[in-house]
Amino acid sequence: MARISGCLRAIAPPAPALLLLLLATRPSLADEPPKASPKDQKAEAPDRFSVSARSETYVQLYQRALVPGQNGQVVPTETAVPVHEYLFANARDVDAPWQKDSIGIEFAAWGRAWPTQSSLERPFDGDLQTANVRLEAGPAWARLGRQQVAGGAARYARFDGVMVGARHRGFFLEGYGGYTVLPRWNGRPGYHHLGDAEDTLLVYLPPQPQRGDYWLAGGRVGYQTSHVSGSISFHDEQVTTGVDRRNLGLDVGVQPFEMTSLGASALLELDSGRFANARLWADLSPHRLIDLGAEVMHSEPALLLSRQSVLSVFSTDGYEELGGTLTAKVLSWLRFDTNGYIEAYRGTGPGARGEAAARVAMGEVYPMTLRVAYTRVIAPQNGYQAVRASFSRKLSPRLSSTLEVYGYFYDMQIAGYKSSSVFAGTASYQAADALEFLWSASVAQSPYAAVDAQTMLRATYHFDAPSRPRQR
Amino acid sequence: MQARLSALLLWIAVTLAAMAACRSESGPPRFPHQTHLAGLACGVPGKPACLTCVSCHDLAQHDSGQRLPKAAVCENCHRDAHQVKAVLASTPVRPSGEITIDHDKHLAMPELRGQCVPCHAGVVDSKRPSLPPMSKCFGCHEHSEQWAKGECTPCHDAAALRRTMPVTFLKHDTAFLRHHGSVMAERQQAQLCQNCHTQSQCQSCHDVTQDLTVEARRPERIESGQVHRGDFMVRHAIEARSEPARCLSCHTVQGCDSCHSARGVSANVANPSNPHPPGWVGGNTASADFHGTVARRDIVSCAGCHEAGPATNCIRCHKVGAYGGNPHPRGWKSSRGVDAEMCRYCHE
Repeated sequence: MARISGCLRAIAPPAPALLLLLLATRPSLADEPPKASPKDQKAEAPDRFSVSARSETYVQLYQRALVPGQNGQVVPTETAVPVHEYLFANARDVDAPWQKDSIGIEFAAWGRAWPTQSSLERPFDGDLQTANVRLEAGPAWARLGRQQVAGGAARYARFDGVMVGARHRGFFLEGYGGYTVLPRWNGRPGYHHLGDAEDTLLVYLPPQPQRGDYWLAGGRVGYQTSHVSGSISFHDEQVTTGVDRRNLGLDVGVQPFEMTSLGASALLELDSGRFANARLWADLSPHRLIDLGAEVMHSEPALLLSRQSVLSVFSTDGYEELGGTLTAKVLSWLRFDTNGYIEAYRGTGPGARGEAAARVAMGEVYPMTLRVAYTRVIAPQNGYQAVRASFSRKLSPRLSSTLEVYGYFYDMQIAGYKSSSVFAGTASYQAADALEFLWSASVAQSPYAAVDAQTMLRATYHFDAPSRPRQR
Repeated sequence: MQARLSALLLWIAVTLAAMAACRSESGPPRFPHQTHLAGLACGVPGKPACLTCVSCHDLAQHDSGQRLPKAAVCENCHRDAHQVKAVLASTPVRPSGEITIDHDKHLAMPELRGQCVPCHAGVVDSKRPSLPPMSKCFGCHEHSEQWAKGECTPCHDAAALRRTMPVTFLKHDTAFLRHHGSVMAERQQAQLCQNCHTQSQCQSCHDVTQDLTVEARRPERIESGQVHRGDFMVRHAIEARSEPARCLSCHTVQGCDSCHSARGVSANVANPSNPHPPGWVGGNTASADFHGTVARRDIVSCAGCHEAGPATNCIRCHKVGAYGGNPHPRGWKSSRGVDAEMCRYCHE
């Protein structure tokens, strides 16, 4: 077994991009004109809009080794010094000539430089996560640029395109279309989160994608009041070889009483005419100190795969899940959270998962929170028990800290180990209204690493600090 | 094992001790409103005039911070400036941020008759909050028009909304995370949710292209319910079998395969390691280890390594005319004919 020999992460000062520098030149990024007198307010209400921006910069230093290597080989460790930069900016309620508070802009991106030699990582990488402008005109609105559609038939999809919508007397209608963002067009197909396998390793090398073949479109019609809401949605996503996914979604929510809400959702996979996912739930607060939730779900995961996957037509076996949650605020400083679900997998034995946690929270000026949780998971072939204790404390007006410990105990051995443990902690310091530093460290023992020690320092700079509400 | 358990118990004991030590710390006490309003000798010759709410609070101010009395007001009676400063610093945390409210207009309402206490019950009852919950506001105001449009402003300040967690109305309780996709779908996209949340916040969890996971970037959020905390790398196979549909909320099977390929346990690499038990491929279809049985139950796990689009190695045995038999389950149907491009790999 190869092991991660050590890991050290550090941080550099924020390196904001040009956009944020431009924003920083403004005296206040949540601009509100000087308050008018009540008399003036009647004549013309002051414009209220907000612009906020944030930068996060990380410099890491660590050693790592892939586990396991090719055919179980122990591979040499490599030293890495990646530099990450995250940028966020958005503006809301900006006036347009045709309507007040009718323009919104959002931007989010990350970038990474990998200056050391690596067989798996490129020297530079990054992604534009969001870059869109939203315009309103009367009951209609439109959003242009890189954006996302979430929930319903789409589940979660990002695309470059346009979304339009309109509302009238509780009814709403939305439509969208554009080119899909995943797979990433600045990376090899198949690249997602955990790393990009070298092309030379692959037997089947996928063809370079033509972006015009990857597009999506969909829409939704619904009705929404304060007590009833629901929508029917449609989503069609295409890839080079045809339909990737084509879904019909139904989502309904009802609040018959103040503290009771019911909901249902279903995702119909149109190609096979079967429900990929369907759930029904109820949330209830019989007392102001008690929250109850119950849920039943049916899922056929194979139908959530791309329709271009042969595997998606090999199986439609699914599983049913039934369970609920209970939260009891026993005392003003003590709360119990429990949840439990049982799963019935077709063709195998049942599974189950549940957690029981106690949470203690005290202090208003220097809040302290302690949470101890026990988790049990029973899944086909293996399961585990886990104990987790978490502690956070505000030590001074500017200094806060957390401590955590996890212990996992597996039903069956994983790589020869029956347990693993993680010890972690953080300390954050608010150096100024706009600038916060956070240092974290963790030590873990697991089947994949005899010792995994990490430390990280993070700096966050809020360009809109003057508009942040005062935290006492 | 025993040593780890001992370490765990020791850590819990230490935190409990810390908790006990902290128990006596509750910060400066709540301001004794009742004493000031009803417990002072006042209004008689030789005594100062009786206090009312507006004696100290300037309700005409929009900024709630400015509505609080200045130290000079307190120092008319209290001479310990340090104590005054400490008490004024103990104002309660406002979970909903700044609220835009016209106090004069509310006090003029016949239901309130100029009284502050109906909303701010905590000033006379220490067991109740000083600031009214949102359900109190909704007790009189329906705000149905704003609700239908998904507008939280102007009552809530837009900047404050982004850092506010609802505690009563629309509260994000323990089950909310499981339903949040559907809650978004029921309502107008970009309206209600986006009063507080930006799309980049969704992507903070859902965008799997990021190098740094949300757990790595936000290690201080110990109660956030992030799914990959702890040694998730070790547990991921168990979690995937327990809740396979949940993984597919964010991940595609290519995400599994790109990592498995790099580690040599994917069918898509040359000379791969074979993790399967004896009897995996063979004629004994009754065996619990037979690949068909496992594939029926958990095809998504198969896809973690064997997903290479239509060129997957399953086709070699299972295409029409080959010896692997029909892999389609009972009841299978497709809107596409066998001449569709993907179907032709088997139905050639």
